[in-house]
Amino acid sequence: MRSRDFLTIEGASREELREVISLARAHADGRLSRPLDGKTVCLAFFESSTRTAVSFELAARRCGADVISLSEKGSSISKGESLIDTVVTLDRLGADALVLRHPSAGASALAARYTDAAVINAGDGCGQHPTQALLDLYALSEAVGGFDELEGRRVAISGDILHSRVARSVIPAFRAAGMEVAIVAPLTLLPQETGAWNVPILDSVDEALEWGAETLYLLRLQNERMNGSSPRVPSVGEYARFYGVARRHLRDGLLVMHPGPVNRGVEIAGDVVLDGASLVPDQVAAGISVRSAVLTLATGAAHEVAA
Amino acid sequence: MSPELVIRNAHVLDPSIGLDRVTDVRLTDGRVAEIGDGLRGTRELDADGLHLFPGFVDVHAHWRTPGREDEETIASGSAAAAAGGFTGVVMMPNTDPVVDKPVIVSGLVRRIEQESRVRAYVSAALHAGLEGKRLTEMRLLKEAGAFCVSDDGLGTASAGVLRNGMLYARSAELPVILHCEDHTLATGVVHDGVAAALAGIPGSPASAEDAATATALILAAETGAKVHITHVSTALSAALVAFFKSWADVTGDTTPHHLTLTDDLVGTLEGMYRVNPPLRPDDDRRGVGDALRDGVLDFVATDHAPHASEEKELPLEEAAPGFLGHETAFAALYSELVLGGVMPLSRLVEAMACAPGRWMGEGAGTLAAGAPADLTLVDLSEEWTVGRENLFSQSANSPYTGRRLTGRVVGTIVGGELIHDRTGARFGVRA
Repeated sequence: MRSRDFLTIEGASREELREVISLARAHADGRLSRPLDGKTVCLAFFESSTRTAVSFELAARRCGADVISLSEKGSSISKGESLIDTVVTLDRLGADALVLRHPSAGASALAARYTDAAVINAGDGCGQHPTQALLDLYALSEAVGGFDELEGRRVAISGDILHSRVARSVIPAFRAAGMEVAIVAPLTLLPQETGAWNVPILDSVDEALEWGAETLYLLRLQNERMNGSSPRVPSVGEYARFYGVARRHLRDGLLVMHPGPVNRGVEIAGDVVLDGASLVPDQVAAGISVRSAVLTLATGAAHEVAA
Repeated sequence: MSPELVIRNAHVLDPSIGLDRVTDVRLTDGRVAEIGDGLRGTRELDADGLHLFPGFVDVHAHWRTPGREDEETIASGSAAAAAGGFTGVVMMPNTDPVVDKPVIVSGLVRRIEQESRVRAYVSAALHAGLEGKRLTEMRLLKEAGAFCVSDDGLGTASAGVLRNGMLYARSAELPVILHCEDHTLATGVVHDGVAAALAGIPGSPASAEDAATATALILAAETGAKVHITHVSTALSAALVAFFKSWADVTGDTTPHHLTLTDDLVGTLEGMYRVNPPLRPDDDRRGVGDALRDGVLDFVATDHAPHASEEKELPLEEAAPGFLGHETAFAALYSELVLGGVMPLSRLVEAMACAPGRWMGEGAGTLAAGAPADLTLVDLSEEWTVGRENLFSQSANSPYTGRRLTGRVVGTIVGGELIHDRTGARFGVRA
């Protein structure tokens, strides 16, 4: 059975997304028992990560896989071994799935050319972070009453689109699920070609609500966007005022999402992060079921279970 | 509401509505009500023998407030502007402190309401402290009343910061006024020409302006920002602005002093003549004049820059750069460019009123019915000698001091009110 890579959300169909979401639901309900028994999952993190690494590792272990974890520190990665050589080594050690986090876009696709193991992109530079988008779809589906309820709903994504692999994943994911997407950002946090996704560009969260956003998806603002050689945002105060969500924005039915970690008082006001409108804890919780589903699909174990 | 005023028998010249003849103008409720022959009203001003133009607009002035009120205040700066026929002025942000916070802008707006004779607008800084490192809170600055943003006085060293500044200004829907100067090239104090060479004064090459102008124009084209290049002083920079007109939302201005004076004055070794960008050779002076005549440079801005005498009565290398500009602008340009045959009076009026007014918006720079009643009355026949005793500015650093000029503003009307009045001068009444 050939393994299946998860490199990008770009190009994923509604049916493919539904398959992952329903399998994640099955994992959450405990309907699958150790589907990865006898499989080896390698986690290779060339860039630091907390929640993604932990949630992949938990998912793999709960599914019964043997887990090998390589991080930048204390491995041959820190000795300067190239990406390709690390991938080939893990391949020859018998990995069935390779979960890869890397600071450069395209690293996962490159890795996939050097191994028969399923490559799962756990975030590559400003490129893609497909499992984040899948867990977001899962958490949102649960909140609105099912995957099919996403159809026609409006989501506004606010913040640093330019440097965000999350944005590059959730935009196609939300659209494939039938949602209408708008972007909220100053031009300094957008690509030169602002029409790249062909979605409306709005000036503020207030404007997003006028547009009819039912979900606000906030992105993390990196501190270095305010300083350094390429300042793009003037201040926390101005950013929070126009591109962040505050209590005054909350209204019936409005949902607030964020991939974490949240800058309280920047993207989301401190009194909103854990408000009832916030899906942030649900997003984290969705990580394990969704990544279990992805690992099961990637290694072909889902088919074996179904058979 | 100001009462009605009918100005009779003035030679009304307004290229924006194609008017150039002796007629009457009725101002009602602070707006231009009608223009036509034989108008009468309860309050009349006989302007026989005078010219009447749309009020001049100056997008570049340093009123030194806050921080150097010994050199100029909003009251004195606006009195000087009014004396020069200017009804609208943009205040530059390189004050002490720099105008880079919303609270400073709102404070200035409040003071303008109380202290300014003319319509004054605040330009906030493009980057914090004008240090070229952090962007300013342009959206909050706009809410506080900022009209535009600028890096005037210093320029922006990093093209990357300038590009982000333009993009962010576009998001904030603010125009950007740019001072184009490359400090790695601008290491001298005067233009690097014959006069500097003979005098032994360190010169800055024209490329200091031209290279920075080219960079700014390229970035304007790419970012789509509304960019105005101020104090263009070289023929090459003017040509660059012309080239980029079809690529970018860009305009340019030049100053009365770059249109009328040259770096020959460096030979005097007097600190008075230090200015930035520096006075250029005659080829550049004529080049920017032709560019202004042809509309390649859209309008005139004075870069009115008052300085205390202790900052100007120094060797050139130690003097502060800058000239007074408001009060002599029209007379200097009328004497040099119109009487000198470079351009017709109508183009000068367009360059001092209509074109900068259009750039400002708000109905400025035109006498079209319904426009704000901002007008300038001028006596084209009056000759006068520039001197401290007849300047309203709190400073005295006019490069025209002692010069005899032709043409003088005799009345300035803002919102229908005569806020500068020398109409009695013909009858021996002192203003």
